Amino acid sequence: MTVISTPADAPKAPPATRKNRSSGAQRRAVALFIAPFALLFLAFYAVPIIYAIVQSLLTVERDGTFGPPRQVFGGLVQYEQVFQNTAFWESVGRVLLFGVVQVPIMLGLALLFALLLDSPLLKGKKFFRLAFFAPYAVPGVIAAIMWGFLYSPSLSPFGAVTSNVDFLGGNLVLWAIANIVTWVYVGYNMLIIYSSLLAIPTEIYEAARLDGASNLQIAWRIKIPLVIPAIILTAVFSIIGTLQLLAEPQTLRSFSSAINSTFTPNLAVYTTASVPNYNLAAAFSVVLALATFILSFVFLKSTQRKVTQ
Amino acid sequence: MRAHYGKVTAAFAMISALALSGCSAGGDSSGAEAGAEAAPCEASDGPVTLEFTTWVPGMDQVVELWNEANPDIQVTVQTGPNGNSGTYQNFFNQIQAGNAPDLGQIEYDALPNFRVQDGLENIAGCEGVADAQDQFVDWTWGQVTFGEEGSVYAVPQDSGPMAMYYRADLFEEAGIEVPTTWEEYAAAAEEIKAQGSYITNFPKTDVNWFAGMVWQNGGQWFANDGENWDVNLTSPESEEVATYWQDLLSEDLVSTLPSFSDEWNASFNTGQQWTWVSAVWGATTLSDGAPDTAGKWAVAPMPQWEDGGETAGNWGGSSTAVLKGSEHPAEAAKFALWLNTDPEALALANELGGLYPAAKSATELEAFAGGVDYYGGQKIYDVFAEASSNVNPDFTWGPTMTQTYTDVSDGFGAAIGGSGTLMDALETGQQKTIDSLKAQSIPVSE
Repeated sequence: MTVISTPADAPKAPPATRKNRSSGAQRRAVALFIAPFALLFLAFYAVPIIYAIVQSLLTVERDGTFGPPRQVFGGLVQYEQVFQNTAFWESVGRVLLFGVVQVPIMLGLALLFALLLDSPLLKGKKFFRLAFFAPYAVPGVIAAIMWGFLYSPSLSPFGAVTSNVDFLGGNLVLWAIANIVTWVYVGYNMLIIYSSLLAIPTEIYEAARLDGASNLQIAWRIKIPLVIPAIILTAVFSIIGTLQLLAEPQTLRSFSSAINSTFTPNLAVYTTASVPNYNLAAAFSVVLALATFILSFVFLKSTQRKVTQ
Repeated sequence: MRAHYGKVTAAFAMISALALSGCSAGGDSSGAEAGAEAAPCEASDGPVTLEFTTWVPGMDQVVELWNEANPDIQVTVQTGPNGNSGTYQNFFNQIQAGNAPDLGQIEYDALPNFRVQDGLENIAGCEGVADAQDQFVDWTWGQVTFGEEGSVYAVPQDSGPMAMYYRADLFEEAGIEVPTTWEEYAAAAEEIKAQGSYITNFPKTDVNWFAGMVWQNGGQWFANDGENWDVNLTSPESEEVATYWQDLLSEDLVSTLPSFSDEWNASFNTGQQWTWVSAVWGATTLSDGAPDTAGKWAVAPMPQWEDGGETAGNWGGSSTAVLKGSEHPAEAAKFALWLNTDPEALALANELGGLYPAAKSATELEAFAGGVDYYGGQKIYDVFAEASSNVNPDFTWGPTMTQTYTDVSDGFGAAIGGSGTLMDALETGQQKTIDSLKAQSIPVSE
């Protein structure tokens, strides 16, 4: 590799050799510090993504009923299949509906809990902070199994309710999952918003109090506007998480007959990969990743404009 | 470096020479029997270690017997979830990555899928394999050879002839005759519902159970003429079975719990379920899942479509396959044969894993001779042995059964939820299976 210094620099700097040497050493140091991240990023992020894209452009050919499969370049054949696959797009619609309802509820609760923790009125803050956060420490699969038992008509300790309301039936099971996801992630999102609240300088509150603002007014007019960036961050995380729902519906399948194999986009990918049709599964994944990216980007852009206004 | 290359080339030359001589030797001795595909199966030099993945409980203890007697061929056991619940996906991934275990448990219905993905070693040329045919129940051998000469892709492990488990005490108490035909079964279902229980549970996810029902009725879902696959999920036999269960579902005469779940176990344990039409391996499922009902169950042949008929279906049953890429197919085949024919191994696999061996000698095993306490001392294995001989030996599985099962199961789920019928599910499954075959360039006739 040749090192090209900017032409404007060259004539101005007399001790060119020294500068070059030091910048060379600097480069080596930078490279050394970046290397661990870069290697891991390549191995576990870039390479798998490239592999998935390559897989999604291949198709299988074979001769005869039991001919061994050969992978050949198929162009956008798999993507055609993706866009013709109604089950996949139904699942995308399902998680979007899920997100539209569940994300605002979850973030609303997270914000409420964060404000309560931050308010001077609440006693036992340390306890509540831990208590709200504790569900996040429960792995998603375990949480789903636990709630599965709670929902189940005959095994639930709340049998009087669950034997009359079919939480695991076709009408409610999506919202039963929403409840589990909310239960797990409220504490996590609360903590992000809460730490952002802690970063607000207390002088602002003092000034507001001198102006005669009540606690409620401080929360509404000062705290919430100042933590909007944190709320947007949690919203983006939640949108990504919603589109990638897998563990909860997959686990609840052993409790409910209403969750089919393409209930969420990721479940559809999983099902397709186990056929096994790796190429189509890869194309699903690429489309899903793009959709997630676009959705998050659009959300960030549209909220940024509002904030600056 | 140069010297190293030289060695490698020499080694390659030797290997190809060996392979060539192996080929010609095989061709000379067995003539037409060893087809072109049957690769030479040479024993390895020195001690080897084999990996074996299975989900039969207690298999590690059975393998322990082998390891003690065969210090040069050591087998390590890995256990996984049931095939369609994850182990097959692992196998497919491992085959793709080139690091599959030497041996894997594969159900008969998944063998075509693995063969289509080029995931199985043809072990027909391995010592003792071709001669083992007579030791196995005929239809199981047909499943592992695909009815082709010179092909053996696995060794049959167990089978799942079906019969009807029923609560003898409840039927007697209620004065209901134990049904012998499906017509009587539906009538009994109504009487049992009137008492607040269910005659049985319709298993939405166990499409292979439903296939067993179609199998009993003389139906076929797939056919393969060597050039094209024929998909026929909607034959008149399938339709008869689908309509029958749809009627029971529509009238709410059967429950729809996810099978093998805790909820499902509980409903058997508390007398909510009066019968279970299931395979022989279900005997231990039932006694483990519903311990409070010990002594109250009995086993009768499957209800018949025609009065006085003697047909039975089959549900499940596995083989031990040598997976593609194994470096020691000869040793792997030797172990697979031992595992599935040795009387001591079969007895232990039955005791710990509830397997009903595919080996003909199984009927002589002590474990199958006596009565079983859980079933009121009845000699239930006599019923299953009879059922086994009544299973139609020619039943062909399709090359993408995992997908077929998933799609039909999704349709069954929708039917249970009130949208569509079981027959609609089969029609959708038919179309999606054809699409899936085409997507993988598997020739299919329409």
